[in-house]
Amino acid sequence: MSFDLNFIGILIGAIMASSVPLILAASGELITERSGVLNLGVEGMMIIGAISGFALMVITDNLFLAVIGSMLSGLIISIIFGVLTQSLLTNHVATGLALTIFGIGMSAMIGKNFVGIPGKEFPLLFVNLKENVPFLGPILFGHSIILYFAFLLPFLTNYFLKKTKIGLIIRAVGDSPTSASNQGINVTLVRYSCILYGGAMCGLAGAYLSLIYTPQWIENMTGGRGWIALALVVFATWSPIKVLIGALIFGGITILQLHMQAVGLRIPVQLLSALPYIMTIIVLVVISRDSRKIKLNTPTSLGQIFYKEK
Amino acid sequence: MNTKLRVSEISKIYPGCVANDEISLEFGSGKIYALLGENGAGKSTLVKILSGVVRPDKGEVFLNDKSIKLNSPLDAKKNNIGMVFQHFNLFETLSVFENLSIDSDKKNEELRLSVSNILKKYNFKIDLDIPVLNLSAGQKQKVEIIRCLIRSPKVLIMDEPTSVLTEQETEDLFVSLRKFSDEGILIIYITHKLKEVLSLCDEVAVMRKGKVVSVSKTKEEKIETLANKMVGENLNTIKKKINNFKYSEEILKISNLNFKSEDPYETDLINLNFSIKKGECLGIAGISGNGQSELFQILSGEIITEYTSIKFRDKEISKLNPRERREYLMAFSPEDRISQAAVPELKIYENVALNNFKSSNFFEKGLVNEKKIKEHSKKILSNFSVNTDNVEMKSQFLSGGNLQKLIIGRELITSPELLVCFNPTWGLDVGAINYIHETLININEQGKSSILISTDNDELLRLSDRICVIYKGKLSKIMDVNEVTPEKLGILMGGGSID
Repeated sequence: MSFDLNFIGILIGAIMASSVPLILAASGELITERSGVLNLGVEGMMIIGAISGFALMVITDNLFLAVIGSMLSGLIISIIFGVLTQSLLTNHVATGLALTIFGIGMSAMIGKNFVGIPGKEFPLLFVNLKENVPFLGPILFGHSIILYFAFLLPFLTNYFLKKTKIGLIIRAVGDSPTSASNQGINVTLVRYSCILYGGAMCGLAGAYLSLIYTPQWIENMTGGRGWIALALVVFATWSPIKVLIGALIFGGITILQLHMQAVGLRIPVQLLSALPYIMTIIVLVVISRDSRKIKLNTPTSLGQIFYKEK
Repeated sequence: MNTKLRVSEISKIYPGCVANDEISLEFGSGKIYALLGENGAGKSTLVKILSGVVRPDKGEVFLNDKSIKLNSPLDAKKNNIGMVFQHFNLFETLSVFENLSIDSDKKNEELRLSVSNILKKYNFKIDLDIPVLNLSAGQKQKVEIIRCLIRSPKVLIMDEPTSVLTEQETEDLFVSLRKFSDEGILIIYITHKLKEVLSLCDEVAVMRKGKVVSVSKTKEEKIETLANKMVGENLNTIKKKINNFKYSEEILKISNLNFKSEDPYETDLINLNFSIKKGECLGIAGISGNGQSELFQILSGEIITEYTSIKFRDKEISKLNPRERREYLMAFSPEDRISQAAVPELKIYENVALNNFKSSNFFEKGLVNEKKIKEHSKKILSNFSVNTDNVEMKSQFLSGGNLQKLIIGRELITSPELLVCFNPTWGLDVGAINYIHETLININEQGKSSILISTDNDELLRLSDRICVIYKGKLSKIMDVNEVTPEKLGILMGGGSID
């Protein structure tokens, strides 16, 4: 194993790429949860996004349409969740779980005809710079536009929640829907919007997997990333920046332990495979120890059904 | 500028209950109006209608002789009707300023300016940039009031505003309300506290069972006349016979009680020593937050402290948990009925079962003996006049008064030697308060003892044989009730000394 700078650069680039779906899905879910809605359907929405994106790419041969389509499909199946939990007042947890099961089954059904079809090459930006700038090249350049967007997203989300009026309203609804409603805020509308946004982001995360990261359709290809994204949101105590850190650690250790397995260290493979989960939780718990901050960031009404007095 | 608000034949019917029955009332600016009634009389429904939260089934609201539609809280705001709810409508995790800006159309700088003008004008002291959860109840209420004032309201409705305030905060609130009234804001003040009506309001409308039963000038009313109108029957004022100390036996003796908390929001207790005799009631007064809840939890065994000696009839019980202490025939009625004393989602008989003793045989071989628990619960319901006999009902559907009767009944049905209660009549109406007070006096007369930790001085003076004051975790000396006056209590509660 060589430790030259370029190799480390390439490694970091790979880590960044592997954390993109987590960042996208977790950032979307974070907004949903900040409005007080707990949507456990992340995995389901991601995989629907993955198959829709891939199918559209195959059918239309247009990557742009595929990406937009994957976001729309994530959004559409999140409408099911929205109608059930917000209009029919079903339990968030049960509905979210059902959505995941539905998504996995549905995607497998649609995907039957798309197994084995090769993907299309996704355009990468600044490929020249990637090869010509040592060390920093592979880190900063030669990625898809979605990766750049994903790395910007936590900062945008943070700004949106903290500095904009709509962000304030979302936090208020998550804190106390009853108070918000008494202040004349349309709680149902706010929560619907946040659910749809979360759905779209999960759809995009799925598309990143099937169009860019491993450009093909494999059944169940999200492989639990949706659940990791959900856990990241909680362990990052609903802070977008900490979600980014958590996703990078998870991606980083996933890649590193693969290298360690390849090198043949005398550590049981099972332990190495478990390492990303353990380390991510430890690090996030350590950086999120301030109980006062946790209290301020936690959406108090998370998972609670809201119904308006008439 | 004159404002006239008139409600005409307002009715609102909930399943099984007529909350408002053809209510017609008229208000004019420059005066403070009281809307008086027991819990469940329909006051809150009426103000929810006025603030657009609830829609009436029938009836109209007129503002300055113009009929207005109040279909949502926004409509109330548009018509300059401001409302301060009993349960604050604030966002705890947001900062004060964020709370204020959420429904304001103004730019941040503009809003900050107008808020700081309001703060200056009414001499409110609130840091705008800390989260609301760090504020005291009185400060939270001020934030609510400021939120209304930003919109220069014509009408300001206050729903039971003093239920969470200390006496000083109440005084401050009244000063502010009089100022608002002088400035031409019409104030409607909802309460079940008679004293407040007399000291603050100009006119009073009394509601009972969804109807307005009387409208009059407060000058023409007295506490007794208002109380009778409110309850609808003649209340006999209960007075305790001062205990002549028939017994000298000490039931409970506490020595060297020290408690140091790691939680910055709790109060440390410093070297408390006191004892309770058989058949007496020891009152512990104080402004809330001076160590009462810590003391209660130590007495009940929820907190175990080191180096403290608690002797119950000469047996050391300081290391026993609440259940073990109950076996010694101690009983406890915590302050918060909903979260500490009862589980609102559980049925009445299930809540009764939670208090199980070894001796009560509610559980046999790990199974619940439902029949036995239900019989026992029925006995409690009838002995303590809870207004239902349905033990299958969820506890959350009981009114505060009935829930408290259930809790006290659950504790007392085993005839304990000592009852420790903490604000037992907090938020209850006159009828229920009277009942609880009678019950507490009764147990003393039967030779049982009680410790009454309360923030209500009238209650303490009425029920206690001896009184002391807790201030910043320290106890004052213990005085016989006939040498105590409300003034003396006031001084001690503020940290002063009276000798």
